[in-house]
Amino acid sequence: MNGVPLAGYLGLALFMFSTGVVGVLVRRNPIVIFMCIELMLNAVNLTFVAFARYRVQALPDDPVLAQSQTMAGQMMVVFVMAVAAAEVAVGLGIIMAIYRLRHNIDIDDMNILKG
Amino acid sequence: MDSSAIWIVIALPILGFLVQSLGGGLIVKAVGEAKSKSILGFLAVAPIALAFIIGAMITTKVGAGPATVVTGPSWIQIAGFSIPFEWIVDPLSMTMVLIITGIGSLIHLYATGYMAKEKDYARFFTYLNLFIAAMLILVLGNNLALLFMGWEGVGLCSYLLIGFWYKDTANARAANKAFIVNRIGDWGLVLGLFLIVCVVLDVVPKETRLLSYDVILPALKTALVAKPALATSIGLLLFVGAAGKSAQFPLYVWLPDAMAGPTPVSALIHAATMVTSGVVLLNRMHVVFECSPVASVVVACVGAFTALYGALIAFGQTDIKKILAYSTVSQLGFMFIGCGVGAYWTGMFHVTTHAFFKALLFLGAGAVIHAMAHDQDVRNYGGLSKYLKITFATMLVGFLAIAGFPFLSGFFSKESILGAALSGNQAVIDGVNYGAICGWVGLAVAFLTAAYMTRMMLLTFGGKTERWRTIEPNHDAHGDHHGLDKDHKPHEVGATMWVPLAVLAVLSAVGGLVLNGKFEEWLYPQGLAVLPKVAEHASNLQMYSMIVAFGGMAFGAAIYWRGLPASQGWDETKWSSIRLAQRDQFGFDSLTTDLSVTGGAELSKFLDSTVEHTVTSGRALASATSGAGGVMKFLQTGFVRWYAMVMLIGVVAFIGYFALAIHGGAN
Amino acid sequence: MDALKITPELLLFGAAAGLAAIAAVGVVAFNNAIRSALCLVVNFFVLAFLYFTLNAEMLGVTQIVVYTGAIMVLFLFVIMLLNLGSPEALEEKRDWKRPAGLAIGALFFATIGSQILMPLMKITTVSSRDDFGGPQAIGRTLFSQYAFPFEAVSVLLLIGIVGSILLAKRRMS
Repeated sequence: MNGVPLAGYLGLALFMFSTGVVGVLVRRNPIVIFMCIELMLNAVNLTFVAFARYRVQALPDDPVLAQSQTMAGQMMVVFVMAVAAAEVAVGLGIIMAIYRLRHNIDIDDMNILKG
Repeated sequence: MDSSAIWIVIALPILGFLVQSLGGGLIVKAVGEAKSKSILGFLAVAPIALAFIIGAMITTKVGAGPATVVTGPSWIQIAGFSIPFEWIVDPLSMTMVLIITGIGSLIHLYATGYMAKEKDYARFFTYLNLFIAAMLILVLGNNLALLFMGWEGVGLCSYLLIGFWYKDTANARAANKAFIVNRIGDWGLVLGLFLIVCVVLDVVPKETRLLSYDVILPALKTALVAKPALATSIGLLLFVGAAGKSAQFPLYVWLPDAMAGPTPVSALIHAATMVTSGVVLLNRMHVVFECSPVASVVVACVGAFTALYGALIAFGQTDIKKILAYSTVSQLGFMFIGCGVGAYWTGMFHVTTHAFFKALLFLGAGAVIHAMAHDQDVRNYGGLSKYLKITFATMLVGFLAIAGFPFLSGFFSKESILGAALSGNQAVIDGVNYGAICGWVGLAVAFLTAAYMTRMMLLTFGGKTERWRTIEPNHDAHGDHHGLDKDHKPHEVGATMWVPLAVLAVLSAVGGLVLNGKFEEWLYPQGLAVLPKVAEHASNLQMYSMIVAFGGMAFGAAIYWRGLPASQGWDETKWSSIRLAQRDQFGFDSLTTDLSVTGGAELSKFLDSTVEHTVTSGRALASATSGAGGVMKFLQTGFVRWYAMVMLIGVVAFIGYFALAIHGGAN
Repeated sequence: MDALKITPELLLFGAAAGLAAIAAVGVVAFNNAIRSALCLVVNFFVLAFLYFTLNAEMLGVTQIVVYTGAIMVLFLFVIMLLNLGSPEALEEKRDWKRPAGLAIGALFFATIGSQILMPLMKITTVSSRDDFGGPQAIGRTLFSQYAFPFEAVSVLLLIGIVGSILLAKRRMS
């Protein structure tokens, strides 16, 4: 959209990311923590797409290189989405398994992650 | 055939290796142990023989023009540096390809007979085919990285094959020794490669293929002509690598021990092909040595000393394979004299003829050992010419060739080396012609060569006494006595074993006559890169050569004609001190072993008792780390969110630091 | 720095961004997991809209289908299965973690924001082709230059499927 500064998109992305960070730190519910991680991933996606659209640097002369630089940001978003889907499937599976084992998913009760 | 067919030449032994390693067990299971051997043997020999045929067809198309480079996919590709799989098809590489696959297929054929009673048939041919593949990569690779890949590959196969009968600790130790000594050579070679990359980068900064011959050879020429000191450093480092692989003093110590491997292996790897790869390296990188008289002198002098040293030691050996091993060390010294005095093609000429006659001698020795129930001591032989007629006839040709009998192959190649050394003027520092000195030493060594080879032949085949019938029951202290007794009757070997012997005998006889004088034109049609060519002929040399050859043979015959002299018999207390010294390599091997192995053990004991017990495991370090750990463990709570928070504090601090740094820089 | 011109596009973007930000705060602030999830759905929808404004149509559609469609439904299912919908299920404790988390988040926002937002304010003109985000362009690149990563991701997804089945199965037989 003409007239919108790149910084607008980046600012929104930064805000979403920070919100996600705060969520991970303060919430006890692992599912909400998961959602906050998704929020962070989407914030990063937004910066990828915004940079791809506004493209600060000039393109190289080589058409193949130019094509790859134009599309690189969007490609990254596609892969982030795919990886996020896999991550959610496995992560939620783990939460289910923990719940089945302990009948409780309070993240503050899980403290076996130490030597 | 087009030179891109070189891919097939390389692929065939690799295919053979894969078939033997992956399918060997299956074949044995499918058709049974006895039947599988003929199938496995065929599958081992066929690829090598086919590779030889294709290699010969490619060679007919190789001309005097610039070398053809066959480029394949990329191997290593990083910014500013790339190494493709590329093969060089030129006279030097194709000469080696023909030697490797030609002699290789003959020795494979021989091995099918020699190893027939062996259980691990497939494992043996797996290693042997892998060796051929690695050796081909070594000589055909168009860059030093591929050369190094092959270099390590042949080293690995050598190690595996020396230790083929690994259940015997002595064999395993010999394999380890070969591997470890070769590491010293690799150290030099790798440092040489690094130095070459640095030098080449200065000359052609835009080039990425920094190890390919077509790039580095012209670049090195421009860079090194005015800088002899740099050329000397590169040359000496490369020579350390060559000396390790080609068993030059003082790195020769692994080669005699390497005879612990099966005899076909000794013939193929430790006589005909692998040990000559140092000579190939010197031929490839000859431009470096041309720019540095010092490095050339070092190469020639080390070669001459090794030749003399190996020949002297050979007199004190009683194991037939050890005699041949020291003879190999000595002949390799000859090749390095040729390279050192600037007549690189004479080195390759001797590589070729030596491959013929030394492979023949080793295979013949294998036939003798086979007939004598695996006893390798020449003191237990005698009069064998009566039983082993074919072996004797073929080995006689090989013996005459190595001794320098006129118009056999060794005569020509040795003479061209000595001629170049005596007439050349490249290995000269401050007016002292070291090359000529090496040439005269070489002539003396030729005399010794004829003498010790006569000793070996007469002790094995000559005389009337069949000494194995009268072995004193307890002379054999080490106890590997394989049933030689007064009723033992030696048997001639089968056809798979004597056919290679016959072929090699023909090659040893006529090879020199056919190839004499052709190598210079064939390998260096444009002449050397920097220096003028060296003449191969010195006045009166032919006469001197004949005199030393016949003199040496006569000298040997005079002593050993009547069989084993009592002063060299089974009772080693009667040996003269000089011969004992020769047997023990003048104490050099035990000295280095003491210094490195025992000294290393002492050093590590010292480190263990003092450094380890006081500093590391004692109070100092241990209490410090455990104290620090005690403090740090309070950070590890086990709560995920605590970890996340710590991580984020780190992230914020990190970004903040850079933000401030950039901010400060902008102001 | 030139003053920003107020255009209708800017106003529209401001409204969308504000909605997305409010929804993001809602994800964290609501005690009830279902409400959090619904806020996240709103946020993802707005993001998809923003992708459209950036001419990345293909990604916008994918965003709706994958995130709001598939992933969020998965979340809601798990919340329902574990019966975490009720607010009492996991009452947040009011301890030192909340202010500490907020402080660190704010610090994070401030550090990065102060560095990047101001210099990039000037860039207001887009410079890529308008059709750079269409299905054709994406597909062409994905199946040529990025064919290997694409295949690798498909393997990853397969592993994800196998893993989640393994985890969700009642017990190994």
